[in-house]
Amino acid sequence: MKIRFPAAFTTLFTSASMLLGQDAGPFTSTVRPVLAKHCFSCHNAKLTFANLNLEALAGEGHGATWSKVREKVVAGKMPPPGQAQLSKSELSAVTSWIDSLTQPVETVSGSGRVMARRLNRVEYNNTVRDLLGVPGRPADEFPVDDSGYGFDNIADVLTVSPMLMEKYMAAANRISRLAVFGEAIPEKPTRLVRLLNRRSHDASDVLSNGNYGAYLPYSLRGAMYGSWTFPVDAEYEFRLRIANFRPGLEAPVLTAEERKLQRAQRAAGIVSEPTPEELKAREEAARNAAPPRKLILTVDGTPVITTVVEGTATFGYERGEFVARAPIKAGERFLRASYPELADLEDPRLNINPDKRRGLFVDYLEIVGPFNASKQPPPSYQRLFVCGHAPGGHASQCGRTIVNNLLKRAYRRPVTQKEVKAKLQLVALAQKDGDSFEEGIRLTLEAVLASPDFLFRSERNVGRALSDHEFASRLSYFLWSSMPDEDLRRAADANSLRKPPVLEAQVKRMLADPKASNLVENFAAQWLQLRNLGRTKPDPARFPTFDDELLDAMKRETNLFVEAVFREDRSILDFIDAPFTFLNGPLARHYGIAGVSGEEFRRVNLDGEQRSGLLTQGAILTVSSYPTRTSPPVRGKWVLENLLGAAPPPPPPDVPVLDESKNAGAMSLRERLEQHRKDPSCSACHNSMDPIGFGLESYDGVGSWRTHDGKVAIDTSGVLPDGKSFKGAKDLKQILRSQSEAFTRNFTEKLMTFALGRGLESYDSSAVEEIVKQAALNDYKFSNFVLGVVNSRPFLARDGEGGKL
Amino acid sequence: MNISVKKHLPRRTFLRGIGAAMGLPLLDAMAPAFAAPSSSKVASRLAFLYFPNGVQVESWWPKTDAQITALSEDLPAVLQPLAAHRGDVLLLGGLTNDGGRAHGDGPGDHGRAGAAYLTGAHPKKTFGKDIQAGLSIDQMVARKIGGQTRYASLELGCEEGIQGGNCDNGYSCAYSNSISWRTRSTPNPPEIRPRAVFERLFGSSDVEKDPVRRARNARYRRSVLDSVLADATRLQSELGIADRRKVDEYLYAIRDIETRVEKAEVENKARIEPTLDRPSSSVPEHYGEHARLMFDLITAAFQTDSTRVITFLMAIEQSNRAYREIGITDSHHGLTHHGGDKEKIAKCIQINRYQIEQLVYFIGKLKSTPDGDGTLFDHVMVSYGSGLGRDHDHDNLPTLLTGRGNGLFHPGRYVKYPSDTPLSNLHLSMMEQMGVPARSFADSTGKLDYLTSL
Repeated sequence: MKIRFPAAFTTLFTSASMLLGQDAGPFTSTVRPVLAKHCFSCHNAKLTFANLNLEALAGEGHGATWSKVREKVVAGKMPPPGQAQLSKSELSAVTSWIDSLTQPVETVSGSGRVMARRLNRVEYNNTVRDLLGVPGRPADEFPVDDSGYGFDNIADVLTVSPMLMEKYMAAANRISRLAVFGEAIPEKPTRLVRLLNRRSHDASDVLSNGNYGAYLPYSLRGAMYGSWTFPVDAEYEFRLRIANFRPGLEAPVLTAEERKLQRAQRAAGIVSEPTPEELKAREEAARNAAPPRKLILTVDGTPVITTVVEGTATFGYERGEFVARAPIKAGERFLRASYPELADLEDPRLNINPDKRRGLFVDYLEIVGPFNASKQPPPSYQRLFVCGHAPGGHASQCGRTIVNNLLKRAYRRPVTQKEVKAKLQLVALAQKDGDSFEEGIRLTLEAVLASPDFLFRSERNVGRALSDHEFASRLSYFLWSSMPDEDLRRAADANSLRKPPVLEAQVKRMLADPKASNLVENFAAQWLQLRNLGRTKPDPARFPTFDDELLDAMKRETNLFVEAVFREDRSILDFIDAPFTFLNGPLARHYGIAGVSGEEFRRVNLDGEQRSGLLTQGAILTVSSYPTRTSPPVRGKWVLENLLGAAPPPPPPDVPVLDESKNAGAMSLRERLEQHRKDPSCSACHNSMDPIGFGLESYDGVGSWRTHDGKVAIDTSGVLPDGKSFKGAKDLKQILRSQSEAFTRNFTEKLMTFALGRGLESYDSSAVEEIVKQAALNDYKFSNFVLGVVNSRPFLARDGEGGKL
Repeated sequence: MNISVKKHLPRRTFLRGIGAAMGLPLLDAMAPAFAAPSSSKVASRLAFLYFPNGVQVESWWPKTDAQITALSEDLPAVLQPLAAHRGDVLLLGGLTNDGGRAHGDGPGDHGRAGAAYLTGAHPKKTFGKDIQAGLSIDQMVARKIGGQTRYASLELGCEEGIQGGNCDNGYSCAYSNSISWRTRSTPNPPEIRPRAVFERLFGSSDVEKDPVRRARNARYRRSVLDSVLADATRLQSELGIADRRKVDEYLYAIRDIETRVEKAEVENKARIEPTLDRPSSSVPEHYGEHARLMFDLITAAFQTDSTRVITFLMAIEQSNRAYREIGITDSHHGLTHHGGDKEKIAKCIQINRYQIEQLVYFIGKLKSTPDGDGTLFDHVMVSYGSGLGRDHDHDNLPTLLTGRGNGLFHPGRYVKYPSDTPLSNLHLSMMEQMGVPARSFADSTGKLDYLTSL
């Protein structure tokens, strides 16, 4: 099929009815002439604007395409404003013909196929965590998952390459060792890692001098942060070293020649030694230039080192290592070492010396250990060895219990005795080879973790109803990106999971679970394209107060905001303009919002003038900008695509690309875009994209508020294709609110795509409509959408493959 | 580098950094302790290096009307870093990849260029399901001769693939994330982590040393493979047709590992020492550093005959990378839409040239690495090119060969072929030299002339 529209468009109607043939009579007599008059000039065999050749399409089916045409024409988006519009009678001729083609399809409704789907990286990590409780994120070493329809959990595109399989095998081996025997503890404590941060925006030489670890983000305020996985419950020693460079106070570095000359000059009395008073004054000045600064190292928010770095007379700040020991539980922990007072610098560049080096920063953090490591078996041991014996004390009949328990959890379904028996042979093999029972279980676990039954979520009841266990997996991978827990499993065992009260209670319970943060990190982050943030970083030359830490703060703001809407079960329309957000000192200062200080994030109420909702958050404004500047069309496209589900089609071939960056000439970007829109082949899309982007021009390429772009005053007025004019982001949000149906439908479609792991099809449209309708009755509360998806036919059931097997 | 650091640690597995929280050991079955010695006749090796976003015509092609000319010192801007190596490269003009053209599918030249480059196929326009290109030449060769080395092929890259679904006007990101395709619908994603490549080649530091224990591990591994194979076979019988395709992919991958393990088990036990230091676990941010490290690894892989077929994606197609280390803060792809802006054109040229500088490093490595009776350079066929020519079209593709390919390549020349000569003709010739003769490949019309002779 040549004509392709984004999934959202093809969902509205089926094309199945089209195949039944139709009467070409009314088409030829009344419809074709209208199309020829108004449409064919852009949509013909040669000029297939929007990749659409209506001439070829005429009368031949393609219901989905025609309904899209209908939508555009009725909305007045086509023909493009400025061109002759359809008369009322022309319009009704076209729409009634299209309506005759496209019957909404309750009748042929299906629930769609979801293919056997391998776990993606996130799901793999979460599943291993929930199955065994071993620390770490093993799947981070796997290759990136391809995505479809904007999400990385789409069955069809999740392929298995030999390299991935090799990594699965290696991970299975490694994880099984960890789970059964725990970390190998070194005989004596060693330096486990030296963490270093970037020395500048682009520094890349940090690791080449025999250092290892990872590049931690660059912070103008000299902070260092990141996470690290601690291997066992134990005490660890943290060795933190600070570094500092004094702005221009160091004595100049002299060559041997120069030093010789200086000595000679002093001896000859040409220059004099400084007097004691002068020296004292100099020392005092140095001390004043280096006020005492607090330095804190936290692990998961708990302070481990708290100290004050004093200024010294001779060299800015004292240097040195701060050492502290703390008990840490095994697992991934978030580390942060920083000078909290620097968070409140008016401008972070106050910490930057003229030579570009930071005045004060954390040089490195070493972790040494483990000391007094726990001798307890790892938590995974309890989950595996469910017979309740001490290590080494297993009776042989325990094998069956253990393997049965492992298989049914790992495969997320009941297992047959045959399957258990087959895996028990591995235990026997190890024991025959003189290895321990534990090693046998480890070997079994290795085989389980590499098994397709673990790696794939496959629904096996072809042509029959989805089983409760399969449904439990659908639920848990939707809401948690992980395997079902004990509670869900029990409900599935009892075959009661899909009883409405049980299901509703389960969903509410699952949404309240911390694991539901998956909906923020995986669903919302992909819906809003936040994963692209930082892929091309803002240009530090253009945005000198911007650094990695601010980028991370923006991400955190949006994450916290989305999480608040989800967790507080607010209306999803709050995404458009809720008057609150989450800020810390540096981000508030970046936005020009007063009264927020320090490094901690907190909820902040907004007056709704400059900021409210998602659209005016830094993360969104930055991800929809170029590294060096804003782009109204890109921002407009972002809004249309992600908030309204109306992505403009790609530009037709051979259309010259507007060169936005050329600042030469008297024309402003706005004027040049206006000229661009005079071309009818550009206007159709740019008329809807550009005005939205202009409405957001008060925010620069990294989301700071501005009134001028260079010397040009910002003009945020725009006219939408329907003639509605507006000014600025606040108006724009009001207009978005008035289009709440498009917004909520789009949200539903995205949520459903993520939940099902497949693109939506025409037969899903009635389910989507129903969810939107029901949610509208309940103030668009978030939980209504989740419950709506979960209770929809596509989610509750699955279709076979037309009887083929 | 940090081999000495490693000594402090009882097990490398204990060493875990940020992000990659768990260092995975490679399957020790594939550790080089069991690698085969290279056979007496020195084998040809094949590498395809791909760079994205095409070239600026005037910066790449020498001005000449002659069909075949010797490369002079006066090279165009991008190729300038090759001046000292001009006797080592063969520049080919006029080659076309028809699969990348629109053929009625409208815009999306980047997606098509990447997926068509080594497959010669016309990729199916989709960003959801049903991605489809074709079997790529490297995989065709790997299928036939891959059995002679530990790895049938390696797929490497310098840029992580994009997870976005729709990357280029309706073309899935999968099309630009990989150039190697194992089947029509299965791209081979490249490995971008130097450490991971190193460990595939030379093993992690916790390979079992005790021979008894090692033999036992081998038995265990065998039993794990048997177990999962049985699972997959059973699962396949329980699933519908579409699902079976997924399990097929799994089965293929498992059998691939099985073959390699078997080979490792029967072959000799001469340990191959790493020919370079174990790289850091993080990926260098500095492009040049990253690319050179990957070239070191490619050289090492060929040198130890761990594989004979490598694809290397210097950056993904339509790459938006900003090359800050050479002072370029704009994204590469954005720059190529320069609309005639001189400054942007200059930056495009600077990026292309920067990438050529990395190639120069590679040529140096190849020429200084002994191999059989000569150096690696004598036995490799390296193709360096892009699937886009001028202005995102698919004609006159920038194509540069290096190495002597066991006598196939006669470097030092610029050969201009008639326009529309299929790129797949070159691939057909290379396949034959790799010992995989075929009557045709994709849209080939015959083998490519003038590679060897004047």
